[in-house]
Amino acid sequence: MVFSTVLTSSPQLYFPKTTSPIIQRAIRTCSASFSTTPQRISNSQFDLRTYWTTLIQEINHKLDEAIPVQYPQQIYEAMRHSVLAKGVKRAPPVMCVAACELFGGHRLAAFPTACALEMVHAASLIHDDLPCMDDDPSRRGQPSNHTIFGVDMAILAGDALFPLGFRHIVSHTPTDLVPETRLLKVIAEIARAVGSTGMAAGQFLDLEGGPNAVDFVQEKKYGEMGECSAVCGALLAGASDEEIQRLRRYGRAVGVLYQVVDDMLEAKLDKDINGDNKKNKGKSYVAAYGVEKATELAEDLRAQAKKELDGLEKYGEKVVPLYSFVDYAADRGFSVGDQAE
Amino acid sequence: MIHTMSLMHDDLPFMDNDDLRRGKPTNHKVFGEDVAVLAGDALLAYAFEHMAVATKGVPSERIVRVIGELAKCIGSEGLVAGQVVDICSEGNADVGLDHLEFIHIHKTAALLEGSVVLGAILGGANDQEVEKLRKFARCIGLLFQVVDDILDVTKSSQELGKTAGKDLLADKTTYPKLIGIDKSREFAAKLNREAQEQLAEFDPEKAAPLIALANYIAYRDH
Repeated sequence: MVFSTVLTSSPQLYFPKTTSPIIQRAIRTCSASFSTTPQRISNSQFDLRTYWTTLIQEINHKLDEAIPVQYPQQIYEAMRHSVLAKGVKRAPPVMCVAACELFGGHRLAAFPTACALEMVHAASLIHDDLPCMDDDPSRRGQPSNHTIFGVDMAILAGDALFPLGFRHIVSHTPTDLVPETRLLKVIAEIARAVGSTGMAAGQFLDLEGGPNAVDFVQEKKYGEMGECSAVCGALLAGASDEEIQRLRRYGRAVGVLYQVVDDMLEAKLDKDINGDNKKNKGKSYVAAYGVEKATELAEDLRAQAKKELDGLEKYGEKVVPLYSFVDYAADRGFSVGDQAE
Repeated sequence: MIHTMSLMHDDLPFMDNDDLRRGKPTNHKVFGEDVAVLAGDALLAYAFEHMAVATKGVPSERIVRVIGELAKCIGSEGLVAGQVVDICSEGNADVGLDHLEFIHIHKTAALLEGSVVLGAILGGANDQEVEKLRKFARCIGLLFQVVDDILDVTKSSQELGKTAGKDLLADKTTYPKLIGIDKSREFAAKLNREAQEQLAEFDPEKAAPLIALANYIAYRDH
């Protein structure tokens, strides 16, 4: 099997012995017929760029308001540095809002959760960049948090942003739009996604796992956030369990697709600059499988993500933003934000 | 879980740099800094997940409210604020009582306050009762730290279960340093009294555990 990996096991670490489910499914859909284009407005007419950039502006504004500088200033400046970084694409919030609106929810219901997703995302990136972790001096084209504010402040900024996300959801979500029972599910979903079975697991394996852990790592680190964002949007709008599971698979596929394409773009850049693919920071699909296979995988993931949305025809054109998002993740037809992540 | 993760992060080399905690080597000493950071993050997340998912027999509105309350207590307006000010005060000779109190109210008392208030809300307390308990918690939280400062000066590492004499070594501002051991002990007694006053109007039997807790904190020797 093309994508099967033999994962090394150590006495303390457990690795799944087979390929991760998302890649297995992608392989199976490879030879299946492509999903049909919806009868409604075709993707080419939908202006994803405007939709996205408008949302970015709204989210940025709300995030700015959510983290005002007060005493002690240093921690707020550190938090704002990472959350309000220039050129951030805000993909998780956009997916969340789009998923919420897909099922008839109002974006006002989604904004607090969308902001919370960015806060916890920023928190995990701040910790990821620490010297004892990935040791990254820069992030999104700017100095990483700890290089400016110090390691101690960076640890605390992350520790503050995680709970702020939850608090923001509780304090800002209109309860007339979202009943508390659903809010609890959203909170549980985000907590699960960042925790020991989600992004933390991915990061741990990225640091401590062997070179064959790339599938698991990518799913946990990137698929998880995509999945969480889409699911939260669906939960907020009161989608059914079946619909939520669709969005879960959709979000996971898009999240991983995004990273596979990022890896391909980075590999190409490396090759153009250095003449070879020698750079392999952490786990990369291209490094593990080569460009050709990575391209195949990207196409499989694209098909898979769209297939999940195909069962939602009854929502008409509301599904178009999420549909277009898949093509953007694969093709990067335009640039969003000033710089790449 | 939250308490543990805050201690794990607190003990890290770039924070308080502690080798010993609760009588054992600190987390990062055993598992490495990277794992200690991640494990702390994972515990933080799990605490919220657990509250949201496992709380039974309580209306959703109350669970949501306690989640918000806990998040406020441990973030940049609570626990983290105390830690930040603590870090920025190290080596600073001008730290006065107000400053010290800010650190302790936020670093130590915030989580105690959170715990007590969460319990009260979950138990169906009205707003007035919640505020009484909040004040109770602030008193015993501060009390805890005053006693901690006194013990650091008067006890050995083995008795304490954590590294003793650190405060002096790190030139940290403490109550004994600012007002002397005797006045610190007086202040501790005052805080204990104030705390228990908040519980005066409650059923003594039901308030007994909290009263006992206040006394334990005041009279503990490690």
